[in-house]
Amino acid sequence: MKVLVIEDEPALRDSIQTYLEQQGFVCEAVADFRSGMEKVRQYQYDCVVVDIGLPFGSGLNIVRELKFMEARSGIIIISAKASLEDKLTGLELGSDDYLTKPFHLSELNARIHAIIRRRNFGGSKAINFHEIRLEPESQAVSVDGKGVELTEKEYQLLEYFIANQRRVLTKAAIATHIWGDEYEQVSNYDFIYTHIKNLRKKLIDAGSGDYIKTVYGTGYRFTDS
Amino acid sequence: MKLLTRTTLYFLAAMVPLLAVGGYLLFYQFSNEINKRVDRELVSEEVQWIRYLQTATAGGSRFILRSPDILIYPVVDNPTLYPQITTTFDKRENDNQQVSFRQLRHVVSVRGVPYQIIIRKSQEQKSALVANVTWIMLIVFMGLFAVMMLFNWLISRKVWQPFRETLQKIRTMELGKMPAVHFDRTATEEFTELNASLNSMTQKIYSDYRSMKEFTENAAHEMQTPLAVAQSKLELLLQDESLGEPQIQTIAQASMALNRLSKLNQSLLLLARIENNQYVAREPVSMAEITRKYLRLFEEIIQDKGLHVHTEFWDNFFIWVHPFLADSLVSNLLGNAIKYNYAGGEIQVSITEKEYCIANTSRLPAIEPEQLFKRFHTAGDTGEPSTGLGLAIVKRIAENHHLQVVYGKEGETHRFCLTKTQDNV
Repeated sequence: MKVLVIEDEPALRDSIQTYLEQQGFVCEAVADFRSGMEKVRQYQYDCVVVDIGLPFGSGLNIVRELKFMEARSGIIIISAKASLEDKLTGLELGSDDYLTKPFHLSELNARIHAIIRRRNFGGSKAINFHEIRLEPESQAVSVDGKGVELTEKEYQLLEYFIANQRRVLTKAAIATHIWGDEYEQVSNYDFIYTHIKNLRKKLIDAGSGDYIKTVYGTGYRFTDS
Repeated sequence: MKLLTRTTLYFLAAMVPLLAVGGYLLFYQFSNEINKRVDRELVSEEVQWIRYLQTATAGGSRFILRSPDILIYPVVDNPTLYPQITTTFDKRENDNQQVSFRQLRHVVSVRGVPYQIIIRKSQEQKSALVANVTWIMLIVFMGLFAVMMLFNWLISRKVWQPFRETLQKIRTMELGKMPAVHFDRTATEEFTELNASLNSMTQKIYSDYRSMKEFTENAAHEMQTPLAVAQSKLELLLQDESLGEPQIQTIAQASMALNRLSKLNQSLLLLARIENNQYVAREPVSMAEITRKYLRLFEEIIQDKGLHVHTEFWDNFFIWVHPFLADSLVSNLLGNAIKYNYAGGEIQVSITEKEYCIANTSRLPAIEPEQLFKRFHTAGDTGEPSTGLGLAIVKRIAENHHLQVVYGKEGETHRFCLTKTQDNV
């Protein structure tokens, strides 16, 4: 799967590229509006990650161009602007998602996965990880073909874990993904422990391997090794 | 004391000696005139009496006349050349009152015999004149005073009107709404000058205020990108297989601190944006609906903590506010009610048409009023992450939308209520 990252901040661009490549994407990265435009006109991408504030032009115009070309790529806008208006403009232009900087790389990765899956009209949308199978449309989960009853949050957790498999995920990143930014107003992130414990137990009870590993004091890692 | 009253009083104070001098001059003039006339009368009377004496003493007899006002008797004295006229004082016969007289004394020789002639005329009318002049002066003074007061009132109503308008504008002025205020030209040069100075002053204040706000906003905004870089680098570093547990923990702690910093920054950015009025309300927002949304969102956390939520939605509380800010209001208030609650505690949300209240149980002491909405004030040692900006944001949103936040504590229950001041319909 091919992803194009258009971001002018070199350090952030590198981070995104490295993380996405680690997760199995073929990732190209450019730094400005012109090369971004060139790339989207020449090649087909499964997903384009674009910053709004770019040298030589606005990222929003790249979104317009993609829509004009009727490209089948998914689009995620990343911007330091958190205002609702920018978000709405971006989404109205046809962007699939909008992430405000700073964000967790695992979050960006999970969203790219979700978008590509949604746009994969022909093929199967199911997510497989060894014996575990997720059907995103019905949010059904099965282990070796046997259904597992998960709550909505547990399902989201599992999907997020599989998208970011083998990576260390901090509690903050997990909490933000599942409960949004506002969980911080309510509690510290210790409460996610309960949900992860339940998910782990349900999967093991259904006969799956124990893939959720605790990284002491930090977070969790979903891995088969 | 009003400026005009003051100037009038000074003016009147200056008028008193002026009127006194005027009165004195008037009296002096009249008195002289009267004296002259009386003197002429006295002289002509004397001439008649001399003429009469000459005929009466034609036979060589002596003549003596004694009446209150005329004395004529022979004396052994040398005749004087001119009559001597003076002002004397004597008692009036009927009531013994001291009265001034104009008196003529003359020794004339009639047929060789010197006669003393004394004729006097009462000057009672002259004291009446003094009284009259005093009265007139007083009346003039009073009239002047009354007219001054009347004019004072009329002038103050008309001429000072622009001044009062200016004053009213200054009184109701708000820092954030300064550009909407303009002090107009007036018919009075001084007020026009004042208004022009006020205009340039408010413009200066507002532009300073704006550039300060913009600075805050830009600073917070510019910080987001480096924060994003640092955050992403730490996240990548965390994936390094060669790291041991202590290293991973160190990175995670740094990442958490960075996370906190970024949250803090976002809250400051939000505050700056609210203050810059970047969130414009377009339609009334139902607080009941938003509360339900957040109760759903926080459902697991509420359950985890074993909290009991009681909702009493008697009516709906609609406010004119940007939906994003309404979310922020509810998530902050409800979030606090959950965060600072104890396990198994209670939360009560009650909504009426006039009031939106969230109450929760907590072991924390009551919040000091002066600390309540202070930025970066956090509640004691709760172990909960907090930016210390939540209530400051609530307060700021409320203030910008004509809402009032009231806090109270009864027993273990802390209660925050939002009420509308008349403008937020």
